[in-house]
Amino acid sequence: MADQSAGRVGKRLQRILLLVPYVIAHPGATVDELARKFGVRKRDLLADLNLVFMCGLPGYGPGDLIDVTIDDDRVFVRMADYFAAPLRLTPAEALSLYVGGRAVADVAGVNQGDALDRALTKLGRALGESAPERAGVDVAVAGGAADHMAVLTKALEDHKAVEIEYFSASRGITTTRVVEPWTLYGALGRWYLVGLDHASEEERMFRVDRIHSVVETDEPAEPPSDLDLSRYRNAFRDSRHARSLTLEISPGASGWFADYYPIRSSKTLPDGWVQVELAFSGVRWAATLLLTLGADARRPSDQEVVAEARKLAAALAAGHRQPVA
Amino acid sequence: MRRIERLVNLIAALLDTSQPLTAEDIRATVAGYDQPDHEAFRRTFERDKASLRDIGIPLEVVPTDPFGERADAYIIPKARYYLPQLDLEEDELAALQLAARSLDGDDQVGAGLLKISVAAEGDAPVGPRTLWGSDLVTETPVVIAFYEALLDRRSVTFTYRSPDGSTTERSVALYGLVHRRGHWYGVGKDAARDDIRTFRLERVEETPIAGSDTYEIPEDFDAAAYVGTQAWEAETATQTDAVVRFSKSMRWWAEQNLTGNPATEGPAGSMDVQLTLGRPDALVSWVIEFGGEASIVTPESLRERLLLRIAPYTEEA
Repeated sequence: MADQSAGRVGKRLQRILLLVPYVIAHPGATVDELARKFGVRKRDLLADLNLVFMCGLPGYGPGDLIDVTIDDDRVFVRMADYFAAPLRLTPAEALSLYVGGRAVADVAGVNQGDALDRALTKLGRALGESAPERAGVDVAVAGGAADHMAVLTKALEDHKAVEIEYFSASRGITTTRVVEPWTLYGALGRWYLVGLDHASEEERMFRVDRIHSVVETDEPAEPPSDLDLSRYRNAFRDSRHARSLTLEISPGASGWFADYYPIRSSKTLPDGWVQVELAFSGVRWAATLLLTLGADARRPSDQEVVAEARKLAAALAAGHRQPVA
Repeated sequence: MRRIERLVNLIAALLDTSQPLTAEDIRATVAGYDQPDHEAFRRTFERDKASLRDIGIPLEVVPTDPFGERADAYIIPKARYYLPQLDLEEDELAALQLAARSLDGDDQVGAGLLKISVAAEGDAPVGPRTLWGSDLVTETPVVIAFYEALLDRRSVTFTYRSPDGSTTERSVALYGLVHRRGHWYGVGKDAARDDIRTFRLERVEETPIAGSDTYEIPEDFDAAAYVGTQAWEAETATQTDAVVRFSKSMRWWAEQNLTGNPATEGPAGSMDVQLTLGRPDALVSWVIEFGGEASIVTPESLRERLLLRIAPYTEEA
């Protein structure tokens, strides 16, 4: 409990050390404006200002205390020159700003000309030795063709649907489809186009690197007003798929397997192998998984998946057995 | 007086003073330190110092007497407290604000943006409500602890869970922190193994402890090379060259996504791409995922490895 209250005091102190320089830089800002900017209720903001009013320098006479005036809803702070600039960025704040910027800076169309590059350079210069880049931090999200990201970003801004030629690895075919873009989402180090797929009339995620071509259409597109991006955070570990596959994983592979695949349940067998129940929707996806596991998986429960795995294995074997041209 | 008022007064006094203040100076002059006895004052002051450091305030301790007979004194150096002038143009700040959305819901990025926008005129233009997001996370205690250790060049000690489930105690001089494929990796010199190792931060069991020794990072060290963009790229002691053939209908993928790799025309409209890999097993999985549209041309040993992998499904049942 002590930690929690310290955390609360710390948060409020951080806010006050930012509020004072902000009001000094923007004399006459309204209480509403400040409450919105700092994401607090109006009465909490007024409480902060009242608190600052009680503080100052040793002596604590009229000439030493911070002068806070609220005149017709407008706020003024004087006699606090020592608080005229905010506290430097903490390492965690600097890291977050850098990572957020770096993640999208390589993507044409997202960079706003080169404004983001310029901003990150200035940020790095100000941080000096402690700049994440100089310290050895490196972040990248793979986007596929840079031109694709530019077209997709523009379509999002224009609220227009796109037509894409897309390779679906889970089905092994390339199709042309119209998608109403909702957002671009970086997951597992790759960009995905999330949107309403006209063909299936469902929400789908498309890997941008598997988009062969993309053009903006004239069809209007409007993302749902209640779109909640946090639901995509664990989309790749989602175990709500319709079908389930039971298989046994070798002791060597069972350690990492659960980190990567949507597992419903697991049980260790007497010989050390682990029986898992896996959620899936596409037969080809599950068949590919069996092939990549090879001898590290046994007793797959779904015969349709096994048949597909044999079919794929035959195609792969043909490609790898014939003499090299 | 409430604690938070006392803290504001303490920061103001230590920031405004030109001479470091001793604990006794502080007790005598700063409002809020009217504890009845020395012990109560000492406890209060210790707690307050910790609170200041917790939120990143650079509180410096200055010895006032080279013979250590007089008490230490305290000051907050202005040059280390204030955020340096960034002089961000309007479009630069707007771009940063837009980019920060890729860390949706991260408290740190919000706090950081507020700090750097204090000096900005008015509100930066707000772009489309939702344009992008990501699963990038920087707010976990392990990421922050690794980052701070990297900044200070202080080695970290932690319990690491290997892919096979076993755990080991590691002590590592971090050379870099790399985000690839949706995961954070720490790259550095493992003391016990006397070699460069890569650690996935999700496998670090508890918040690591930073040691007191410091180290130098070798010049031109490329941490990202040890992680690789594709799983098979990760740099290891033995690098292998391989050629992967993309079929006529899938070569566009390689043309769009493997732009830096040398490529030549293959038979029947296919394309052969040259790759350098550190983890052959990961390449085998990667080729399998193309479902027959990609195949390994060389080396022979890697072709055999792929055939061995899929053998349970090519043999007659």
